[in-house]
Amino acid sequence: MKSVAAIFAVGVLALVVQGALARTIPPPFCPDLAWLVVVGIGLRWPHFVSGVVLAVVLGYGMDLLSGSLMGQHALLRLVSFLAAALAARQLDLSGGVPVGIFVLVISVVYGVAVVTSLSFLVDANRPGFDVVGALLAHAIVNVLAAGPMIGIVERVQARFSDEEVGRRGANPLGFDSGRGGLL
Amino acid sequence: MGDFLKRLAAPLVVVLLVLLTIVSMVGDRRARETGGRDLPWWQAALLEITAPMERLVSAPVVATRDFYEGYVDLIGVRAENLRLERRIAEIEAENLQFREALVASGHLGRVASMRDEVEIPMLPAEVVGLDVAPWFRSVLVDRGAQQGVEPGQPVITHEGVVGVVTATSGHAAKTMLLLDRQSAVDALVQRSRARGVVRGVGRDRLEFEFVVRGADVVEGDEVVTSGLGGVYPKGLRLGRVSQLRDAGGRLTRIAVIEPAVDLGQLEQVFVMLRRGPEMDLLYQPNLPLEDLDGPAPVGAPPLDSSAEDEGGGGEG
Repeated sequence: MKSVAAIFAVGVLALVVQGALARTIPPPFCPDLAWLVVVGIGLRWPHFVSGVVLAVVLGYGMDLLSGSLMGQHALLRLVSFLAAALAARQLDLSGGVPVGIFVLVISVVYGVAVVTSLSFLVDANRPGFDVVGALLAHAIVNVLAAGPMIGIVERVQARFSDEEVGRRGANPLGFDSGRGGLL
Repeated sequence: MGDFLKRLAAPLVVVLLVLLTIVSMVGDRRARETGGRDLPWWQAALLEITAPMERLVSAPVVATRDFYEGYVDLIGVRAENLRLERRIAEIEAENLQFREALVASGHLGRVASMRDEVEIPMLPAEVVGLDVAPWFRSVLVDRGAQQGVEPGQPVITHEGVVGVVTATSGHAAKTMLLLDRQSAVDALVQRSRARGVVRGVGRDRLEFEFVVRGADVVEGDEVVTSGLGGVYPKGLRLGRVSQLRDAGGRLTRIAVIEPAVDLGQLEQVFVMLRRGPEMDLLYQPNLPLEDLDGPAPVGAPPLDSSAEDEGGGGEG
């Protein structure tokens, strides 16, 4: 539970720092730190259910501080988490380059999903070709920020998981330290 | 059985969360169609906590930027001062001409007599946060429902229109900027009165879509709100035409608009607590007084009674 609270705190802090950065860095060049935390949870977090709940809660936090429809980022973050969790099971994403490529691809897909879902859900203006440049620029910035953010998630997970396993001793009582545990 | 349920738990949670987010989106979309919403208590509470946090974390970033910009600004301050003095002289001359025209048409007395009673209450607000997602353009301001801010109220600066309030909590409000893809404002060209719609395209410029037939729009034209649509009063500045281009062989053309307000550097804004008629007065001088009244503001005197009691008075 402590580890979930810690990751949640990291996610909220990422949101706030992202808000501060947005005041000086123009939109496509400002990294989506809170989203990277969600991707980090998907890639490195061993507990599926708490991970998916965290992704949605952090997504709602994003929705609150953004002009999106309430639930739009939450849904897309849930999908991002699932994609990351699936990729972590199927692919070897232990190195920096594979993670970078994965973040680049999923970041572009996320941007396309936001823009198209907006056109679909509300009477928003259709995106032009200029969106492609913004998508790529944002994806590259996200790749650059991915290392530190996923690293933070890893460190928090490692630190608090050790404490919790130590306290519970030999009988984990529902706490599964392997991937796929319920909490 | 227990093992089966355990295996079912994860997909079940995912399905429930997907349903929850879809229901949220549909609910929010409906609320926006009816002019925005007050946030539910838990979202309002989160926003109340987040807004001061954003201000706190942004403070050093903003202070550094302001210090740097202040220093850079000093370099050209003398030349700027001379330019502004010249501009003030020009504007004073223009103002005199307008007043003369109003006196000639007999409307100045009416405008002056109504000024105190019908002036739109403006609430100053500080921008405490910008949109955290690059695909949307909104800001968070530090005034909310407790100060009389409601969804659907226009937000402006002295330079022109900023956007519209879309959601409020007790002490904070979310404002959708003109630049957002979801933004569309009925507008007209000040010089030729050509009408069209100004839309946000998610970048730093706006697009003014107008019907080609009979429309007279040239580069440099000032575009203002038309007053139609029920959100913005008539005559507020939206921006200036910087480029004209075809809209793919249709009956409409598109003019690229440079926004009147630098929406990337917003700090202080004003929330218009109700639609006011004084802008309309300048453009629709023959409209009856009661038709010009907007929704009543919180704590403002009723327009009719004050107009009757004090009608005829005013500044000289």
